[in-house]
Amino acid sequence: MSIISFSHVAKQYSAGVSALSDVSMEIAEGELVYLAGPSGAGKSTLLKLIAGIERPSAGLLLVSGQDMRKLNRTTLPYWRRMLGLILQQHRLLNDRSVLQNVMLPLLVSGASIKEAAQRARVALDRVDLGNKADLLPQALSGGEQQRVSIARAIVHKPRIILADEPTANLDRDSGKRVMDMLQAFHTAGVTCIIATHDERLLHNADRVVLLEHGRVIAMHDAASEVGA
Amino acid sequence: MNWLREHWRALLSAFARVRATPGGFVFNVLVIGLALVLPLTGLTVLDNLRPVARDLAVEPELSIFLSTEVARARAQAMEADLRQQAKKLSIPVTLEFIDRDQALTSMKTHSGLHDVVTALGSNPLPDAYVVRVVGGADAVSPTRITQLADALSRIDGVESVQLDSVWVKRLAALVDLASLSLWLLASTLCGVVLAVVFNTIRLQAYTQLEEISVMRLLGATDAYVSRPFYYLGALLGLSAGVVALLLVAAGLAATNQSVAVLAKLYGSQFSLSPLDVKSCALLLLVSVTLGAIGAGLSVRRALRAGD
Repeated sequence: MSIISFSHVAKQYSAGVSALSDVSMEIAEGELVYLAGPSGAGKSTLLKLIAGIERPSAGLLLVSGQDMRKLNRTTLPYWRRMLGLILQQHRLLNDRSVLQNVMLPLLVSGASIKEAAQRARVALDRVDLGNKADLLPQALSGGEQQRVSIARAIVHKPRIILADEPTANLDRDSGKRVMDMLQAFHTAGVTCIIATHDERLLHNADRVVLLEHGRVIAMHDAASEVGA
Repeated sequence: MNWLREHWRALLSAFARVRATPGGFVFNVLVIGLALVLPLTGLTVLDNLRPVARDLAVEPELSIFLSTEVARARAQAMEADLRQQAKKLSIPVTLEFIDRDQALTSMKTHSGLHDVVTALGSNPLPDAYVVRVVGGADAVSPTRITQLADALSRIDGVESVQLDSVWVKRLAALVDLASLSLWLLASTLCGVVLAVVFNTIRLQAYTQLEEISVMRLLGATDAYVSRPFYYLGALLGLSAGVVALLLVAAGLAATNQSVAVLAKLYGSQFSLSPLDVKSCALLLLVSVTLGAIGAGLSVRRALRAGD
């Protein structure tokens, strides 16, 4: 069953720059999809559309049955709570401890501090950072910060994880560790959509969507080769 | 419970922001507090003056002083002449005869001039009538009251006629004018308070734009993000209101001694009292509301900017 459905979706920025053109595809629940392609291909824009950060300029985008153009300022935050976002720049709050950063998605959803702390510690244990819960993010390495951002993305048990270049700026070992974790969440049934230009990662995917100049130029299922 | 918890957490978050920059907070409280002191002082003084002005006779009142050579019997008989003049002009009046002995006793008792009056030996005061217009100033025009004064002054045996209510009316008018000016000033300074809170919260929100943006990405609603700023604005307003009340109370305490000395010279016990509890509570409510409104306007703008 499809959880995300693109139908002739386009995204054009106000300056007339076309970021995506005529994208049509379905993503099934529990699928692991890689968005591949060079910088500027439209991978991040596609993730932003799914996250509701940007709105489609044309076409129909349904995420979990919700028409993304119909979400407004009031309904969008509630809808976002089913997403786990892993961003390239981590975007951790540096004046809060690692634990407090991971608690945020729970706190904004109305969980008590006690409950949020308990669940955040479990999430940090899952990314092997349980012993660094009380440190500030700056005290961690890039790889560790990315793992904190993964813990923050999964702490509220999202239905969909969106990851934008999760291994960028990480060394090979840290990158592998991050990808193994995402693979584990996928195995647990979470839909994962990962934008990357690192071709070494693509072999794990159920599907690879290859983008170029804002267009889908190829789709590759696990059973076939990457190609048009 | 969830709702209460969210508000409690927002309040704690506002306190945390105050703790993070205590100097800036105190400075802003002082600025807003000082802006509130001026209208608050004016309100306090007016609040004290209003009852004084109200207690004074604002009804048109004429004092008719008779010649000292007029005998008591003739003086008492003049009441009919006075009434007749008033009737001619169709002005309803009441008359009160104050004999010279009664006036002297009153003067000795109330004016603080007992020693001076005693030293005079004989009574220098004339017999007098007080003529009050029934229905007050609203019933009879000032022109007609002046006509009455002229007519009475022409009666044989009348030495002089004094229209007593004029200065009282002027005082009442001045108090009303001061009150109106004060409300205008207070409105302007409310604008100042709003502007200061708006700017303070705007700066605070802009330093936290990244946090706001991350929170929104994680599913925080506008209300969740805004709430701590509303509390911060309300805290600013509340603290500034308390500071203003304390400054005004200190100012009154400092000036009251001089006011008491001055009042005593006029035989009065008048002193300036601080605003009552109800008025203080109302003022604090107004300053808290202004703080929250300023914060609301500011944070709404910051949220749009953060999108």
